[in-house]
Amino acid sequence: MLMEKSAVENGFIIDLSSIKNTSQLVFELSSIMEHPDVKGKNICLKLGSLDLKQSQLLSIKALIESMNAKIAFIDTKSEQTEASAVSLGIMIKEISSDLTADIAPSEEDFKDSEYKEEAVEERTENPVQDTNSQEIVEVHTEVHNNPIETTEGIEDIYDEVSAQELSEVIPSENYQPDGFGILAASEGLLPEETSKYILLDTGNVLPEGVEENSVNTESMQTLYINQTLRSGQTISYDGNVFIIGDAHPGSEIIAGGDITVWGILGGIAHAGCNGNITSKVRALKLNAIQLRIAGLYARRNDTLNVPYVQKTNEFTPEEALIEDGKIVIYKKLRRD
Amino acid sequence: MTGRVIVITSGKGGVGKTTTSANIGTALAKSGYKVVLIDTDLGLRNLDLLLGLENRIVYTIVDVIEERCKLRQALVKDKKNPNLQLLAAAQTRDKTAVNAEQLKEICDTLKEENDFVLVDCPAGIEQGFQNAVAGASEAIVVTTPEMSAIRDADRIIGLLATKEEITSVKLLLNRVRPNLIKSNEMMSVDDVVGILEIPLVGIIPEDAGIITSTNKGEPIVNDENALAGKAYRNVAERILGEEVPFLDLDEPKGFMAKIKNAIAKLKVKV
Ligand SMILES: Nc1ncnc2c1ncn2[C@@H]1O[C@H](COP(=O)(O)OP(=O)(O)OP(=O)(O)O)[C@@H](O)[C@H]1O
Ligand SMILES: [Mg+2]
Repeated sequence: MLMEKSAVENGFIIDLSSIKNTSQLVFELSSIMEHPDVKGKNICLKLGSLDLKQSQLLSIKALIESMNAKIAFIDTKSEQTEASAVSLGIMIKEISSDLTADIAPSEEDFKDSEYKEEAVEERTENPVQDTNSQEIVEVHTEVHNNPIETTEGIEDIYDEVSAQELSEVIPSENYQPDGFGILAASEGLLPEETSKYILLDTGNVLPEGVEENSVNTESMQTLYINQTLRSGQTISYDGNVFIIGDAHPGSEIIAGGDITVWGILGGIAHAGCNGNITSKVRALKLNAIQLRIAGLYARRNDTLNVPYVQKTNEFTPEEALIEDGKIVIYKKLRRD
Repeated sequence: MTGRVIVITSGKGGVGKTTTSANIGTALAKSGYKVVLIDTDLGLRNLDLLLGLENRIVYTIVDVIEERCKLRQALVKDKKNPNLQLLAAAQTRDKTAVNAEQLKEICDTLKEENDFVLVDCPAGIEQGFQNAVAGASEAIVVTTPEMSAIRDADRIIGLLATKEEITSVKLLLNRVRPNLIKSNEMMSVDDVVGILEIPLVGIIPEDAGIITSTNKGEPIVNDENALAGKAYRNVAERILGEEVPFLDLDEPKGFMAKIKNAIAKLKVKV
């Protein structure tokens, strides 16, 4: 029980269990997420029996992460949703009545919230609700016409904001300009005019306290995503990321291990974000606006700054990896 | 040094704020002034694309605010002109990641070391707008000669009037098409100035070159031959206090000109 409780610290339970379709769910969730108090919080989603495909759950995750919050776990009655969550590495937990009693604010906390009382009332009238949920405290989003009112129902149960994930990825102190490096292409070192990627003068940008390492990425878990990533969407995973689809410019993929895009990679790709210098970035068409491997950051050459690549049948798969302190791109996948 | 902080705003979306920011910034930098452009359109950033700098962005304004990097690390130098620097917006976050106080602090810091800080404001009148204007002491309101854009510009001018720190509000009329004005299908410059009643800082003609320049990541002011480029260079000179006549596009009577005749006639030649 203790463990379960800690899972919702700094967080909310958002009860969306009465919602029966995805668009309604996204609408309700996005209006709740606009509330400034949600920032930095762990979100526990209660999803009821709604079936969510992996791609739908991923969009929901992206929505939550775009507000700088994250999903702590989800509670679902749907096997489909559960499977999607597992494939995305999202924890599944049941919100038990004990737990909710623990995290529930006292009666007093409710006093000035007119909306909440109303919500609780509605809920008891709803025969579909399970008995546990009556004690759950949270943002209740019984289909409600006024999203603003709904957001006001958010109750801040715990406040401290937990540690940032991102700060591990983008450190501040190791900044040391060290001039421009030039990347090599498979044929050997090429001058700046012809090389595809140019190292940024950020120096080696590794998170504080993180050391370069060469853990075999094959031993890591792989997250499969069967969807096109669009501008503004981020995938962040401590393992390998495999995208079946394109990664559009403006998207960001950050992985502890390898990144493989079975499509056109046009956004930012950061492989080995925890210092793993053996990590690789692969794509059918490698057109990332920035390639980052471990602490090395490289930008696409300005002469290649065409954000959107024409789709053809003639892509040659490419693989980027670190060799001799530089990012090197191989035109075909190497087989060692 | 205390530089000038100018916000480029409009109310309505898509009227040319970002285009204007990129071009004025580039023109001022070309004249030898130190300029920082701040993109405050979080989640829908564009300014980096117009300048062709997207591939150089490592840190954004949100990284600065959340202390993942120092301010100077987040400034991206222009490819051609080291006098011009960009502070990019975060693409994967939204406007709630920043508040007005924090933006003001950034502007205050930047104006110590720069002649100009230009803030590209997002559309709308909500938090994004409030953030963008927080550090500014001057504003350029961009509009097109359309009723809806003018209505929104009017709203913005009203809101700016409530901000004590903002001491100058000027109008930039974009996408002007002399042919349409001639045939009375578009409001004339006089009409628009007559409605909004703030001083004009520029008139930019509709120019297909702007679209190609956006795609190339190269502001049109760099194109010596483009009319819109010339018009933006003139805006920069007016910002620097010079008296520059407006480009001559030959203005006929607009459909509101008759009504406006009573009002002191600002002899503006388009
Ligand atoms: N003078 C002009 N002639 C032709 N096209 C123009 C002109 N000014 C702007 N445009 C085009 O209008 C579109 C919108 O411009 P821009 O992105 O600068 O507007 P914005 O006000 O910043 O938009 P948003 O509100 O979305 O931030 C762009 O496609 C741009 O190329
Ligand atoms: Mg814009």
